[in-house]
Amino acid sequence: MSSDPEKMMSKADKMTKLTLTRWSADWRGATELYEQAANGFRASSKYERAKVALEKASQGQVMQSSPWDAAKHMESAAALAQKLSIWDEVADFYRKASELYVECGRAQPASDALGKAARALEEVKPEDAIQLYTDACEILEEDGRDQMAFDLYRACASVYIKLEKFTDAATFFLRLGVAADKCDATNSQCKAYLSAIIVYLYGHDLKQAEKCYNDCSQIDAFLKSDQNRTASRLLTAYNEGDIEEIKKVACSSTVSNLDHAIIKLARKLPTGDVTAVQMNAGDDLDEDDLT
Amino acid sequence: MTVIDILTRVDSICKKYDKYDVDKQREANVSGDDAFARLYGAFETQIETALEKAELVTKEKNRASAVAMNAEIRRTKARLSEEVPKLQRLAVKRVKGLTTEELAARNDLVLALPARIEAIPDGTAGGPKATSAWAPSTASRPDIKFDSDGRFDDDYFQESHESSQFRQEYEMRKIKQEQGLDMISEGLDALKNMASDMNEELDRQVPLMDEIDSKVDRATSDLKNTNVRLKDTVNQLRSSRNFCIDIVLLCIVLGIAAYLYK
Repeated sequence: MSSDPEKMMSKADKMTKLTLTRWSADWRGATELYEQAANGFRASSKYERAKVALEKASQGQVMQSSPWDAAKHMESAAALAQKLSIWDEVADFYRKASELYVECGRAQPASDALGKAARALEEVKPEDAIQLYTDACEILEEDGRDQMAFDLYRACASVYIKLEKFTDAATFFLRLGVAADKCDATNSQCKAYLSAIIVYLYGHDLKQAEKCYNDCSQIDAFLKSDQNRTASRLLTAYNEGDIEEIKKVACSSTVSNLDHAIIKLARKLPTGDVTAVQMNAGDDLDEDDLT
Repeated sequence: MTVIDILTRVDSICKKYDKYDVDKQREANVSGDDAFARLYGAFETQIETALEKAELVTKEKNRASAVAMNAEIRRTKARLSEEVPKLQRLAVKRVKGLTTEELAARNDLVLALPARIEAIPDGTAGGPKATSAWAPSTASRPDIKFDSDGRFDDDYFQESHESSQFRQEYEMRKIKQEQGLDMISEGLDALKNMASDMNEELDRQVPLMDEIDSKVDRATSDLKNTNVRLKDTVNQLRSSRNFCIDIVLLCIVLGIAAYLYK
């Protein structure tokens, strides 16, 4: 066997091309050659060529109807693309790998692949990252493995926070709450709700925060939890315009158990003018109003 | 029925009907028609019983019954004190067969009676006085002493040096205790959070472990199958003659090759 990867590549290419002398492509042989070529390239740090070799190897596996190996090759290709910072290809390759995994019927690796893609693209292309995270979560939820989705939801929400899209971030936390509810993970659920409320408050949206709090209070698990008390303290402090109290709540241990991004937000509370946020008492119903 | 039983029965019956025995009564009561003497005798008996009761009270351990007995004694004393004037009037009356000295003696006895009645201990000696308010209570029980001696001016309720120091120390210790408790509560919060996260993580891993379990079971059964088949194949090979023939032929070919290359 020639040890030169280039030669192997060309040989494999020839094996797959259909000519007059060759009526059916020899995918098995070609795939083997491609794999070896890829190893050779990687050893000599020719990542571009290695990536191409892996792509072709993956295709060969697909032709051989082994989606698992194909997916594995795709992932390696994507990792190389990441190293080379070719972001579109990263996303594409990971998506393809994920699809192949789904073909195998393995949801976890599929979502893992998308998760890796999203993590790679977080800095560069956050919107794509969010899309990838969402797809990953959907795959897991379809398969009924909600618990694995927690981390993905959290990561997605932190991306939204970085983008300063607080409503979307809060929405994701609520989705986390739903997933946690399905698995009876009450601690994560309550933490998710508290994070959502803090995010709303950070976005100067007291009304939304209160609505969110009211909705969450319907849920027994949240009602009985520490996070509920912290949330109510925070909201009353906001309503009274008590900055000291807000700071105290933000430094409490309940808040310190949340995600790092949320802790940072909480420490920065109160944002904006708290005194202007006080409720007007005149809107309340008159005591003598018996209707 | 034995003789002794008869005797005791007769005794109790006689005792019961003693009061109808005129002779005996006359004997007991020396001065039968003397009203004073009769009344005086009754007084004496009552005082005696009261004194006995007072003795019993001191021995009594149950406070409720002690209080009840004291109350009875006090009632008796009150009744006796009321009847003392009657006795006094009788004492002055002239009775036949009585000398002047005896009359004087009777008077003295009557005068001494109130003192004797008062002297019966009934558990309230000097009691009511102790419950009075901050009035100067020099007449109260001798063993309770008030340092203030009745002086309650402004200085009295002012904090002394010791009491303010004590208060300060108390406050400081309380603050330290609160700090300590705060630290403990923070630590416990962290522990609780970690523990619930661990709980959720373990819950997450349970289905994974089940999957691993089933997959490994499948793998072991496959391996077992493969091993058995391999064993059969190898046995087949070994037991057949082809194996030996293969080796012999191989040696011959090697020999020919060596011969050719030499």
